[in-house]
Amino acid sequence: MIRSFAYVKPDTMEGALKALQTENSRPLAGGTDLLVDMRNGLLRPDLLVDLKGLEEMKVFSVDPEKVLKIGALSTLNLLIDNRKIRECCPVLTEAAFSVATYQVRNRATLVGNICNASPAADMALPLFILEAQLVIACPDGERRVPSLEFMTGVKKNALKRGEIVVRVEIPPAPGAKMAFLKKQRVKGHDLALINVAGLADKKAGRLRICVGACAAAPLLLKGTDRLYKDIKDVDRLAENVADLALRTISPIDDVRASKEYRSDMVKVYVKRIVKKICS
Amino acid sequence: MDITVKVNGNEYRENVPANMTLLQFLKGRLLLTGTKDGCGIGECGACTVIMDGKTVTSCLVLAVEADGAEIRTIEGEAGDGQLTGLQEAFIEYGGTQCGFCTPGMIMSAQDLLERNPNPSREEIAEAIAGNLCRCTGYEPIIEAVEAVARKHG
Repeated sequence: MIRSFAYVKPDTMEGALKALQTENSRPLAGGTDLLVDMRNGLLRPDLLVDLKGLEEMKVFSVDPEKVLKIGALSTLNLLIDNRKIRECCPVLTEAAFSVATYQVRNRATLVGNICNASPAADMALPLFILEAQLVIACPDGERRVPSLEFMTGVKKNALKRGEIVVRVEIPPAPGAKMAFLKKQRVKGHDLALINVAGLADKKAGRLRICVGACAAAPLLLKGTDRLYKDIKDVDRLAENVADLALRTISPIDDVRASKEYRSDMVKVYVKRIVKKICS
Repeated sequence: MDITVKVNGNEYRENVPANMTLLQFLKGRLLLTGTKDGCGIGECGACTVIMDGKTVTSCLVLAVEADGAEIRTIEGEAGDGQLTGLQEAFIEYGGTQCGFCTPGMIMSAQDLLERNPNPSREEIAEAIAGNLCRCTGYEPIIEAVEAVARKHG
């Protein structure tokens, strides 16, 4: 049983922002994390502000040559079913497909996954390597936050009271190779033990590798561009990037895996992803 | 809060508290007890229903969120006492044993067949990955869905 609370469903952004000024209020989109946390007593909001009446959050503009705009109400299945996204940003499709189950993905949203700010948040990884920005509505207008700066700790994000993420904007990455890999015990019933995403842009000399579930928030490795430039042999590059990853992460023991196992898997998966996108 | 919901073609106007889930509404208020309450956190799929054409775990939807929605539950599948092809196939292939997962399983599989009348084994497995079954080992269920696809394909 969920503790009682009040519920409003504003039909204007103004109304939603005003409602979210209320102390102990929470925005509700898909609810697939929120309602679980409420049921388990981890969150006890007095007011839920349902965002599903807000047109501006339904934007879903996918033109491979322009900035992708994905509104905060876009579900993971909406992303997965979009052929253009699969062609221009396959890493988004792969990451989304790895999340939970079909029925849950019919409700769960891309933005919700980021706002929930789990250290294992699958959707954070593609956003980090694609240098996505979050557009946030605040009482005095809009502000933008790079996705990389949005998750500020375990289950903590950069939103202040009375703010909501309206959409994600993803700049085009033509010609780049990208991939997402996730180690989990059972598909659909497990969070990531570790997850890894990578993007290689040969022309621009860029290699971005992001590792999740190994720190308070997913980590974007620093110094990968230099390795990419200096090391032409893919196997050696993969070894070096994996070593860099191991020096960067700080995994913990938890119910899903030990820190030793996580470290071993990071090494395997980082090598795998570098070989996949750099060959 | 007042909500209007269409369930299996029948319209209901009800006053519900904000903390009532769609699952509690269906079972406790409308007495449609076919939908099952398993884990309550969206993992087991026993509470799967179709809401506005999409499967959802009804334990993770608030009744107030279903205001204006059209819901399909297991009770609406067999019209006039006539089982659907999928239900017949579940019986024929032994896709149901204790029966607890079956209502959710049928809704997920029926939804798949409506989206994709000719699914591969992998697509069937993916579509029911969110429906736990502790009896059958899934094989008879997959076979039942395949049989329906063959009949129509």
